Parts: sequence; C-alpha cells; structure tokens
Amino acid sequence: MQEAALIVSYIVIAYMLFSSLSYLGLFALAFRKVKREAKLDKRESTEDFLRNQATYPVSILVPAYNEEVGVVSTVRSLLALEYPEKEIIVIDDGSKDSTSLRMIEEFKMTKIPFAVRMHIETAEIESIYQSSIFPYIRLIKKANGGKADALNAGINLSSFPYFCAIDGDSILENDGLLKTMKPIIESDGQIIVTGGSVRIANGSTISRSKVEVIGLPKSPVVLMQIVEYFRAFLIGRLALSHLNILLIVSGAFGVFNKERVIQAGGYNKNTVGEDMELVVRLHRLLKEEKSKQRIEYIPDPVCWTEAPDSLDVLKSQRVRWQRGLFETLWTHRKMMLNPKYGSIGLVSMPYFLFVELLGAVFEFVGYFIIFGGFFFSLVDPQVAGVMFMVTVFYGSLISALAVLLEELTLHKYPNVSHLVKLYFWALTEAFWYRPLMVLWRVQGIFAAFRKKAHWGDMKRKGIST
Amino acid sequence: MNLFFFWMLSLSLFIGQLILLGILAWRKQRTNRKESSVDRQYNELTDAFSSYMMDQDDTRFLQQLDASPDKLVVLERLLNHYVAVTKAGDSSAVITALSEQYLAQRYAKLLKQRNWAMRMNTLYFIEDFRMASLIPQLNERLAKHSTSLDQETQQLIRTLASLNEPAAIEALAKYPEAPARLYIDVFKRLDELTKLGELEAALEGSANPALKHAAISYIGMAGIMLFLPRIEQELENEDPETRIQALKALLHLQYMNNPESLAPFFRSDSWQERMFASQIAGALQLSRYKELLSDLLGDPIWWVRYSAAQALTQFSDGDILLAHLSTNHPDRYARDMANQWKTSLLGSEQ
Repeated sequence: MQEAALIVSYIVIAYMLFSSLSYLGLFALAFRKVKREAKLDKRESTEDFLRNQATYPVSILVPAYNEEVGVVSTVRSLLALEYPEKEIIVIDDGSKDSTSLRMIEEFKMTKIPFAVRMHIETAEIESIYQSSIFPYIRLIKKANGGKADALNAGINLSSFPYFCAIDGDSILENDGLLKTMKPIIESDGQIIVTGGSVRIANGSTISRSKVEVIGLPKSPVVLMQIVEYFRAFLIGRLALSHLNILLIVSGAFGVFNKERVIQAGGYNKNTVGEDMELVVRLHRLLKEEKSKQRIEYIPDPVCWTEAPDSLDVLKSQRVRWQRGLFETLWTHRKMMLNPKYGSIGLVSMPYFLFVELLGAVFEFVGYFIIFGGFFFSLVDPQVAGVMFMVTVFYGSLISALAVLLEELTLHKYPNVSHLVKLYFWALTEAFWYRPLMVLWRVQGIFAAFRKKAHWGDMKRKGIST
Repeated sequence: MNLFFFWMLSLSLFIGQLILLGILAWRKQRTNRKESSVDRQYNELTDAFSSYMMDQDDTRFLQQLDASPDKLVVLERLLNHYVAVTKAGDSSAVITALSEQYLAQRYAKLLKQRNWAMRMNTLYFIEDFRMASLIPQLNERLAKHSTSLDQETQQLIRTLASLNEPAAIEALAKYPEAPARLYIDVFKRLDELTKLGELEAALEGSANPALKHAAISYIGMAGIMLFLPRIEQELENEDPETRIQALKALLHLQYMNNPESLAPFFRSDSWQERMFASQIAGALQLSRYKELLSDLLGDPIWWVRYSAAQALTQFSDGDILLAHLSTNHPDRYARDMANQWKTSLLGSEQ
C-alpha cells in the first residue's frame, strides 16, 4: 500500500514540476508578443476602421434566459458601441420572467413577420419583434432550448457576415468590438474567429460602457479569480494562440465568421461548453480542409464581466466549465494525438487534457497524499513534505509569478497597492482557494457523466451604473 | 526525495519574487508619478493651447510650453487630442506647424527605434499632424524595412499617402498580395487632384485587379460622378469581380446614364449580380424592371429574394404589389418574403 502511494506521489510531483516548467516555457513564448504591443496606441490603431467601409458589419447576439433585470441595460450599453454598422438581436429562450416584455416596452418593439432562413434547426420560434426607435434592434421569442439553441436562432435571423455573442452579465467596452474585429479586417477574412479577453469588473467603476476607475474588489474569492485569470491567460492561452493552436476561447468574448459557423453546424446543444466546443469544431474543420484560415486571440481586454462572489455560484460555474471541457475533449477525441490535425492534435489537445482537465485530478491526489502522509502515515512524512512544497510551488508561487508577469507586461491595475495586494493574495492560493477549485473541478468531471445541459444560474447584481 | 532541496528551491524562488515585486512596485510608483506630472502639465497648458489655436499671436502658450519639463510628451498629447476631437480631415496648418517645430526631430529618431509599438505610434502621429518634412525618412524606412507587407509597411504606406505622396500606390503595387482595402486606404488619403489622376490611371490599367477593384469601389463610396460613364463601361468587363464592384459602385452613385445595361444581370448565373441588379432597380426606381423583380422574389437565394422585395417597396405602388405577391406568387418562399416586407421596413444602423 505504502509503496503504491509512494509511486503515485512521485508521479504527482513529477507532473507538477513538469507542468510548472511548461507554464514557464509557454510564458516565454507569449512574452514577446505582449511586450511588443504593450505600448501601441490602441485608439490610433483602430480609429481608421470607424470610418471605413471595409469594416464588416456585425450582428450582436444576446441570448437571454430570465434576464429581466439586466437585459435592457445590456442592450443600452451595446447601443453605445463604436462601430460603423451593427444589429442587435436579443433571443429570449423561453424565459419565465418578463425578459421580452421589458425589451418590448423599453424599445417600443412591434411584432414583424420575418422570413427567417433556417440555416440551423432550432426550437420553435414564437415571434419576432423589431424596435420602432432603433430598427436594428430585434427580439426573438422562442421556446426554451438552451443557450446554444438560442444562439443558433440568433444566427438564423442575423443578416451580417460576422456575429458575436455576449452574455447578459457582460459589458463590452466602447471600442471592444472594433478592437476584436481588427485582426479579421486586417487579414481580409483569413481569420475566422477572434477572441478578446474578458476582465473581472467587480471593484471597478463602469458607467455607460466605459470603465471609469479600475479597482480591486474586497472579496477574497473575487480577488483570487483575478489572479487565476492572470495565470490562465498570461501563462498558457496567449502562447497557444500565438502558435495558432489555442483550442478554447473560453472566458473570452469572440467574433465569429457566420458562414464558417453555419458550415460547422452551429452551436452544439448537447454540451454546456458550447463556445469552446464550437472553437474546437472550427479548428477541426480548418484542419480537415487544409485551410489557411486561422483563429486568433488578442491580448487586449475588451469585455468586462461580473465574477461570482459567492462560493455556491462559483462552484456551479466551475463544475459547468470543467464539464464543458470534458465534453468538448470527449466529442473530439478523434483529434487527440492524431497527426492529421497537426499541432492541434499533437500539442493542444493533450495540453488541454493533461493540464486543464486532468490537472485537477493530479492535484487532488496530491492534497490527499499530503493529508494522508502527515496524519495517517500513508507515505513517508519526508515525501509528504516534498509534496507539500511542490504543491505550494505549483499553486501559490506560480500564481504569484503570474501577478508579477502581468505587471511586467500589461500592468492594467493602476496602483502599487493593487500589485502588492494581488501578489500576497496569490501566495495564499495553495492553502484555501486551490483546494476548493480542485475539488469542484473533479466534481465537474463526474458531472459530465451525469447531467443534461442547462443555463447557468447567477444572481445578477449589475455592474454598470 | 530531499526535502531540504525543495525547501531551499522554494525559498530562493520566493525571495527572488520578492525582489522582483520590489523592483516592479518601485517602477510603478515612478511611472505613476511621472504620469501625474505629465497630466498636471497637460491640464495647465490646455487653456493657453486653446487660445493659441484661435489666435496665433497669443504666444503665452509657446512660452508656457517651453517652460514645461516634459514639453514634447505634453505637446504630442495636446495635438493628438485636438485632432481626435476636431476630426480635422484637412489637418490644421497650426497643428502641422507646431509639430514640425517641436516634434519632427524626435519623430525622425523614433522612426529608427527598435520598439515596434513606438514606431507604429510615431507613424500614426506623423499622419495625424501631416508632417511632410519627414517624407524622406519615411521613404527611406519603406525602402529598408519593407520585405513583407506587414502592419508597419501598411502604415508606412498610409502615412505617406496622407502626406500626398502618389508613390504610395507604386509602393503598394510591389506586393502582389496587397488587398483592395489597402488601395482604398491610399485613395482616401490623397488630395483631390492627385486622387483623380490616380483613379483614372487605375481604371485604365488592367494588370493589377486589386487596384482596379479598389478604384471602382472608392468611386462609389466617395460618390465621384465624374467617373460614372467609366463605371458603366465596366459592366461589360469579362472579370466577374470587376462587374460586381461596378454594380456596387452604381448602387452607391444612385444614378445610371443607361439603365438598359442592367437588364442582363437579372438573369445572371451569379447570385451577387442578381442581388445588386435588384437593389439598383429599387434605389433608382426603374419601374421597367418590376416584373423581373417579382420573378426574383422566388429566387433560390435568400439574399436575392430579400433584395427584390426590398426593391419593390421603393416604388409608389410597392405596397399593393407586395400585398398581391404575398398571396399570389407561385413560390412559397416568395410569398413569405413579400409578407415580411409588406408590413415592415427592416433596417440596420447605417
């Protein structure tokens, strides 16, 4: 028994050391790009597109389920977006509250007969409304079918070649859409998806789609989510995107080429991670066609979202994310280690499997061994001690490093106190936040075997004033 | 497993991080202090700057500026803000004079900087402030740097065009992969006279399709009626993309000398041509094509049906026609489309 535990300990320790090193390697890869663009005047580099007919029009899809509190302010913030030509489509996915009523009253909407093209099958469309004040705002009232189904209905109704989807709890920055579309325009359509990163709004003051003051939240749970985001984004995502093998644009705001999405079959209704699954399917489509088109992630934050500050909501979010990741990897298991899919199959799929998905299992075992070693002589206390050190290194020191690296490259938080606060909170990660995440992520893997798709539930407090 | 080794490793990494934290915090404090000092100088100079922009005899601004410790950074911000607010398409001569006097030397140096972002920003500013004295440096940079049509080369070419250098088009034409979008960017920036000459040349030439498409497209966007006969001629071009661009331009120009030449496009094999023909027939209210539009309401392509229905709404009797078609058209999709358009005018933000 002890011998088996010892072997497992060695495996976990080796895993954590290897992952840490791969994190650092990936960061080194991303560093140049971030550093290169850090000083670029973003305003100057996008202002030309504002008055340019080459700027493709975009349909903005807002899927809504029981969003009567936030839907109107979300749409209002979208109206303020700087973009030459856009339409806004709200999809009420069979809400039980007065989501539709709020929209109809606020924007003086009337029912219209609309000849919708059925690119993708969806649940029944009950009616379509159009605003008489802003004719480019439309509302689809449909039978409940889940978020993916709602998005598909939005795609069917949309009239423009590109679309983006935004959740009711997010605020897009005024020039966010322009910044996200920039790579698509500049590549003359060779880039079919761009993802811009999302930042956590708690603690900052946002009014009328503009971030007035950037600040830090008081709640440690939200602070840790900021640290976690630095870690995932700076160490990992950015480098993978740089190599054109970023599989998942999760936690990001994305713009998609509609024709390609329709070709790929639209959003998948059978997973909770519909956004990541779609990106993987598009990658797969490109590889199978041997197409030169690409998917790109831009380091600029373009969208602000409200992070959960209660453990309950955070738990359900993490379980859902992990489940989505599992389902996506499972659906596309054919790509795993398959040379036909190039670096996606050989590097990216294994990375997401071993680091993002199974990492939680390794860490869970690690915590188990530390506990068992110190209190129940499961392994030699010396080994448990090493495991403890490696866990702290992997959990806390790497996260603290991510905070420092953010300051070195993007430095988005304005005060010295922000930096110090984030750094010291990051050091506590391995002792409370990470064990919780690890536990929930393992639960997420189990949940993938059991549950059916449903909308994530979160009590909105609202982030804009 | 040596616990001591891991202890020491973690401890030294932790100490290393603390040192890095200290350095970064110090750096942040210094930048913040510098930033707030620049902000203060900016605010102090704003009033004097505004007065100077109205009346250049009021030289208080120049005196205050010279006394300012970060005068170049502050001036750059003042000018940039002014240009952004006034959206001065024909940049003010005062802005150009100020930037030439104070910033030209700095920008000449910055163009040789290793930092890519700094060079890009400099190119944007040279364009915004119309600093013609830097043309030789820009040309030199273009000759040396541009092995590929990367972002910097593209911006170099745009900046040169904004300084009215027709050589920008030649420079762009060196890259066979240059898209029409970039040629349009160049046309937009040239001054009227140079622009007309370059458009004429682009329409005459046939060696560079992207350039020709860009010229046709730009003529439509900018509504240059002078070229209307040339655009109508292009409807007979053998290249399908040229024909589509010409149709699109005619739609923008909202006029045709010879509407008869539109007829073949309603029966074209290309759905884009059928769509644009429908849109033009509607926009120009060419009632002779009403019957063809009614036929196209049953086109297999959704966009053609949509455009045909939209076109019918433009005629004075459009509502009656659509009401009739919504019940009597032999095609089910045509009836749906007519139904949609008869009751509502659908649009998007323009």
